[in-house]
Amino acid sequence: MSSSCYITFPTTFFAIRAESLLKKTGLTFKMVPVPRSISSSCGTALQCPCEDLAEIKALLEENSLELESFYRLEEEGIKKPLVTELEL
Amino acid sequence: MNEALNLYFDNAATSWPKPEAVYDAPGRQMRQAAGNPGRSGHTRTLEADRLLYKARETLAALINAPDPGRIVFALNATDALNIAIKGLLETGDHVLFTAMEHNSVLRPLGRLRQDGLISTTMIPCAKTGQPDLDYLESAYRENTRLLIVNHASNVTGSIAPLDRLIASAHGRKVIVLVDAAQTAGAIPIDVQGLNIDMLAFTGHKGLLGPTGTGGLYVRKGLDLKPLREGGTGSQSESDIHPLSMPERLEAGTLNSAGLAGLLEGVNYIQARGIESIQQEEQELRSYLWERLVELPGISLYGPHGGEAAVSVVSFTVGGADCGEIGHVLESAYGILTRTGLHCAPHAHQTIGTLPEGTVRLSPGPFTRKVDVDHLINALQEITGLMSG
Ligand SMILES: Cc1ncc(COP(=O)(O)O)c(C=O)c1O
Repeated sequence: MSSSCYITFPTTFFAIRAESLLKKTGLTFKMVPVPRSISSSCGTALQCPCEDLAEIKALLEENSLELESFYRLEEEGIKKPLVTELEL
Repeated sequence: MNEALNLYFDNAATSWPKPEAVYDAPGRQMRQAAGNPGRSGHTRTLEADRLLYKARETLAALINAPDPGRIVFALNATDALNIAIKGLLETGDHVLFTAMEHNSVLRPLGRLRQDGLISTTMIPCAKTGQPDLDYLESAYRENTRLLIVNHASNVTGSIAPLDRLIASAHGRKVIVLVDAAQTAGAIPIDVQGLNIDMLAFTGHKGLLGPTGTGGLYVRKGLDLKPLREGGTGSQSESDIHPLSMPERLEAGTLNSAGLAGLLEGVNYIQARGIESIQQEEQELRSYLWERLVELPGISLYGPHGGEAAVSVVSFTVGGADCGEIGHVLESAYGILTRTGLHCAPHAHQTIGTLPEGTVRLSPGPFTRKVDVDHLINALQEITGLMSG
């Protein structure tokens, strides 16, 4: 079983702004289509290792980005992933 | 006579030529990154989103805006001015504007005034194009909400003293909207340094981009009502248009192909250096002015040769018809100018060229000194014929 964390955004502008800011940091992350098991206002989400989530969130908020929600997805093969919405 | 000079002196209408990359980028954008920005989340869409972000970021840097999210894309300056004017004003507001304003300001105001929603006062300008600051001081009312300033006149090239106008307006808690149609890409603009509240620009003039591109800078804390609502690709479940910028003021699929071209235009300006473009254009304008002054029967308008101005000079010749001069310049010499009234009736009134207008010459960043010499030779022949 593997888990990764997701940040969703209210608008595309903030998703791409997040990507642009994080690219300069060396942190590991990926912009991905929002997984079907979570819902979001905007079609692109940020995927990152769960241990980096707090740091990424802090950095984005420092730059006054609007973030929507945070999730952890535990995936096992093609089974439906286990979704946990995180209260950060 | 040389009938095929193909000299373009109409950059104030739209710039030509453009940097090569500006021609190529829209085609590449359509071929390679044709996703609908913000809509689908697949890689093509993401590429289109990145391009738009990059364009916002690059434009924000050009005008020293603190946050690319405050750059809203629009069709042109006219569209941006409509978004600003109609998004800000409320019934009962009073608006000040200078006599150098373009119809893209005068007409949205005229409409709101005609509908009985707002009142307006025009700040007269001197023949040099400089607004009367004493008049401005006496023109504020309790309900004055907005001052609109044309940063540089498309009729005379004169540059408005933004620092003094903004200090005056902000002293009265009046918001300032700057029309940068003739200055964006031509002279440095610092929206933070100057405390500009809103700045409208067009992509196809000094920014060297394609037509159908432009935008509006809106400072943080100023929340406009959207002029139109619709799809943004985000918050699709809601009947209410998103409030967060820049989507707040953008609805419908953006002109990503055109904006790809605009981005290249701004990249070109940044690489060549906006200060050097400004200096070269200023020197060329001075040279043009000095050469024009020598022509018999000519009247020149606006700032003199050595004075600060953007790359525009207007003239008339004795009793000659402006349209006829423009026609001969084109048909006999292949030199393109603009003649008549340049969409700014009060500016013509100010310099005394109503109703016939002027011949307007607007060299651009690719105009050479030798082009000016060809133009002067042609005008010497034309004016010689007329006086002979
Ligand atoms: C001073 C000024 N404002 C506004 C505009 C309108 O620009 P656009 O036609 O690109 O909307 C122009 C140019 O036509 C202009 O010169």
